[in-house]
Amino acid sequence: MRIVSNEFIEPRRLARRRRTFFTGVFVLTSLATWFMADLLWINGMTGVEWALLILFVVLYSQIAIGFVTALLGFYVINRGGDSRQISSSIAPGEDVPLASTAIIMPVYNEDVSRVFEGLRVIFRSVQETKKLEHFDFFILSDSNQPNQWIQEEVAWVELCKQVGGFGKIFYRKRRQQINKKAGNVADFLRRWGKNYRYMVVLDADSIMSGAALVQLVQLMEKNTNVGIIQTAPRLVNADSLYGRLQQFANRLYSPLFLAGLNYWQQYDSNYWGHNAIIRIQPFIEHCALPDLPGTEPFGGRILSHDFVEAALMRKAGWAVWLAGDIEGSYEEGPPTLIDSAKRDRRWCQGNMQHSWLVFAKGFRPVNRFHLLMGIMAYCSSPIWLLFLIISTIHVFDLELKPAAAYRPEAFTQLFNYKIEIPEAFTLFIFTMLVLFLPKFISLFLAMRRKEEARRFGGRWPLFTSVILECVISALLAPINMLFHAKFVVFTVLGQGVSWVTQRRGAEGDDWREAILTHGGQTLFGMVWGVSSYIISPIFFWWLSPVLLGLVISIPLSIALSKVRFGQSAKTLMLFLVPEETQPPYELRRLRQNLAECYKHMRPIEALRADYGLLQAVLDPYINAVHVSMLRQRKPSEESRDYFMQLRTRLLREGPSGFTTKEKMALLLDAESMIWLHRELWCLPSHALAEWWRLAVRQYNVLTAAPITALYR
Amino acid sequence: MELPLDSDAIDAPLSNFRPRTGSMEAWNAAYVRVEDYLRAHRIHNRLHQSRLIQKILERAARRHEQHPALDPTTLAAEEAEAVMDQWFSDVLGRTDETKDRLAIEGRVALLISDGARKWPYAFLATDNAPEDFKRAMRASSMEAGPDMAVSSMVPRPIDLGAISEAAGETLERFEKWPILRTLLLWIFFMSALALVFYATR
Repeated sequence: MRIVSNEFIEPRRLARRRRTFFTGVFVLTSLATWFMADLLWINGMTGVEWALLILFVVLYSQIAIGFVTALLGFYVINRGGDSRQISSSIAPGEDVPLASTAIIMPVYNEDVSRVFEGLRVIFRSVQETKKLEHFDFFILSDSNQPNQWIQEEVAWVELCKQVGGFGKIFYRKRRQQINKKAGNVADFLRRWGKNYRYMVVLDADSIMSGAALVQLVQLMEKNTNVGIIQTAPRLVNADSLYGRLQQFANRLYSPLFLAGLNYWQQYDSNYWGHNAIIRIQPFIEHCALPDLPGTEPFGGRILSHDFVEAALMRKAGWAVWLAGDIEGSYEEGPPTLIDSAKRDRRWCQGNMQHSWLVFAKGFRPVNRFHLLMGIMAYCSSPIWLLFLIISTIHVFDLELKPAAAYRPEAFTQLFNYKIEIPEAFTLFIFTMLVLFLPKFISLFLAMRRKEEARRFGGRWPLFTSVILECVISALLAPINMLFHAKFVVFTVLGQGVSWVTQRRGAEGDDWREAILTHGGQTLFGMVWGVSSYIISPIFFWWLSPVLLGLVISIPLSIALSKVRFGQSAKTLMLFLVPEETQPPYELRRLRQNLAECYKHMRPIEALRADYGLLQAVLDPYINAVHVSMLRQRKPSEESRDYFMQLRTRLLREGPSGFTTKEKMALLLDAESMIWLHRELWCLPSHALAEWWRLAVRQYNVLTAAPITALYR
Repeated sequence: MELPLDSDAIDAPLSNFRPRTGSMEAWNAAYVRVEDYLRAHRIHNRLHQSRLIQKILERAARRHEQHPALDPTTLAAEEAEAVMDQWFSDVLGRTDETKDRLAIEGRVALLISDGARKWPYAFLATDNAPEDFKRAMRASSMEAGPDMAVSSMVPRPIDLGAISEAAGETLERFEKWPILRTLLLWIFFMSALALVFYATR
C-alpha cells in the first residue's frame, strides 16, 4: 500500500537529492581513502595495512555522512529554506480545524515536581491558544517506587485542582510494567486510543508550547497521508557545565543538520520517541512490536522502539516527516558525562538489537539506513579503538624494520602532482575539516547577523564558545570512545554494566564516582601513552589529542559536572543559547514554578525513605485519593492472610524491614490501605511502632499552615 | 474507676467534659489523637477543632463507661470515624454506600472542593452545612481516566529476511548450548591473540 502521494515532492526530484547526498559521502570517503592508501602503500600493502584501510573507510564514511548532511543544510539555509518541508504545507494565516488529540507523558520514577510542573506549563500554554477542548493529557506512570507513585498521585490531584484539570488531565498507573515505555504507550492505545485521532508523545522532561502542539495537529489534519511528524527538541534548562555545553552545541549546530536531513529524507524521516505527533489508527494497526529471536541483550523485546515504529509506518505507506523548523519543542539533557554514558548504555543495547531488522522484508531503504546508522553510532567506537590499536602495532612493526624502509611520505601526491606537504598532515587537515567545518559554518550563519549573534550572547562570546566547545568535545571524544566500546563488547557478551552509586554534592560533582568510573580510562591512556612514546615519539605526538582526553578524564568529568562552572560560564556569556538570553514564556514559567516547588520543606530524615507509604496510610486525603484510584479486587483466602500479616507487621514494626515489593503489594491492595489507615488512627500509641508514633507527631508539625492542601 | 481530671489540661470548650471512667493519661492521649486526626484533615481552626474534639470525646466516654476495658484512644478514633461517616452521608446525600466507600468518597470530595479551607466551620458541624458547600462537595469528582474505548493492538511478526532468520536460529541454538557459546568465545579470543602475534612478527 502506498499512501504517500507524489504531490509533495516529485520522485525524480527526491531521487536527485538523495543521489547528491550519497555521491557526496562517496566522493569524500574515496578521497580520504586515497590519501590513506597512498600513505600506507610504501612497500606494498601488508595484512595489517589492509585491515587499517578497511577500518578507515568504515570510520571515514561515518563522519562524511555528517559532513555532507551539514553541507546540504548550509545549501538549504543559504537559499532561504526548503520549499519541500512539512511545515510549509499550511499557508500563513490558514486556519485548519483540529481533531481530538491525546498528549501522553510516560514516566518512570522521575522527579515528580519536574514532571507535573512541566505538564502544568504545557497545559497552560495550550489553554492560551483557546484550543484546549481538542486536547486531553495523560500521565502514564510505570514508577515502581512507593514514594514516586504516591507523590505522582498527590501532584496529579493538586495540579488538576489548581488548573481545573479534572476530566482533562488523567493519571494512569500500570500494575505491571510490561515492555517498558513501548508497552506503556501500547497500554494507553488499547484502552483509550480509539477516542483520539492523534497522540503527541512526550518524555518526562519534554516541554512543548501550545502553539507547537496546535501546529502539529493542523499539519496532520492537512496532510492526511502523514503518520508521524517528529519535531527537533532543543536542549534546555541545563545548569552544569557539561549540560550547558551540550545545550549550546545542540542549539547552534543542529539547524544545519536538520535542514540537511530534511533535504534528502523528506517523507522517509525518522521517529525519535518523543516530542512527536502520531496518527493513532495506523500506529495501532502496524506498530505493535513483536519480540526478536533469542533473548536479551540481542533478542527479546525491542528496546529502542522508535526507529522500528517509523520503519513500520513507512512500510505501511504512511509518511514520516521531520519538522525541524517548528519552534517550541524542548527537552533536557543529562547533566554530567557519566549520566550521559548511562543513557548511552541503554541506547547502545537498543540500537544493537536493530541488527536483526536491517534486512527485514518490506522496510524502505532509508529506514534500513537509519537502523544501520543507529548501530554504527555505537559500533564505530570499538572500530575506532581497534583502528588506533592496530595503528600502534603497525608503527611498532615499522620501527622494528630497517630504517630505510620506513619514511613517512614527505609530500602529498595526487594524480602525479606533488605538493610539498607531508601526506599524513594533508590527511589530518582534511579530516579536521570534515569534523569541524560544520561547526564553523553554523558559527558563520549565526554571526553574519548581529541580532542572531546577540541571541547567543554576542559575536565574541559566541566565537569563544565555539572554540572552547571544539576543544572540549575533542577531549571528550576518546572518553566516549572507550565508554561506547565497552558498552558494545558487554552487550555482545550479554553482560550488564555496573555503575557506582551516586553521592553527589551540592555542586553536582562526585569524586568517588568519577574516579571509579574513569579510573580505567586514565590508566589505559597512561599505559598507551608511555608505550607509544617508547615505540615512537613522533607517533606519540600524533596520538596525544586522544591520550590527553583519557589521561585527564577524571578531573575533566568533575569539572564538567560542576554547576558552579556552568553558572560561571553563563556569567562570562559563554555557551549562551537563545532560550537563556530570551527565554520563552513556557521555560520561564517552568523555572519559576520549580523554584517554588523546591522551597517546600522536606520530611525529616527518619521518615524520608518511606514518606510515600507514610502519606498513603496516615493522611486521610491522600489515603482516600490513593484508594479511590485502585481497582477493587476480591482477594483469595491465602492472599487475605498474607496481607493481614503484612499490615500487622507494618504497624507494629514500621516499614524499615519491608522490601519495596512488599510495600508495593500493600499499596496496590485497596482493602489493606483502608484497614491500615483506620488501624493507625485507632490503635493506642503503645501498640504502634516508634516510626509511626514519630510520623503522627511530625506530620502535623509539617502541616501547621497547609495553604496548598497536598503539596508538602 | 473515676479519676479527677485536671481541667487546665484541656481547652475551655471542654471544661464540662468529665469522663467517669478511664485514667487522665488515657483521655489525654485520646484527646491528642483526635486533635491530630482533625489536623490531618486540615482543620486548623482551634475553636472549631475544640468543639469537635469535645463532641467526639463525649461520645467515646459514654462508650467507655459500657466497655471500660477498651482504650479511650481507640474509642475516640472510632467515634471520630462514625461522626465523619454520618456527616459525609448527610452532606453527600448517600445512604447506599458501604462505610468504607463513603469515607473515601467523602474525603476525596472534601479535598477537591477545598472544603476545609473555604468553609472552615462547616466540617462535621451538626447544624445544617451551607448549601454552596454541599453543592461543591456533591459536584466534586475525580476521574483518573476517561471511559475506555478498547482497541486491539496485537504484535505482528516482522519478516526479518533470510540473513537475520539464519542468524536468529543460530543464536537460539547457541543459547540452548552454552558450551558451544563458550567454545566460540575461546576461538574468537585465540584468533585475536594469533592476529596480534602475527602482526607483530
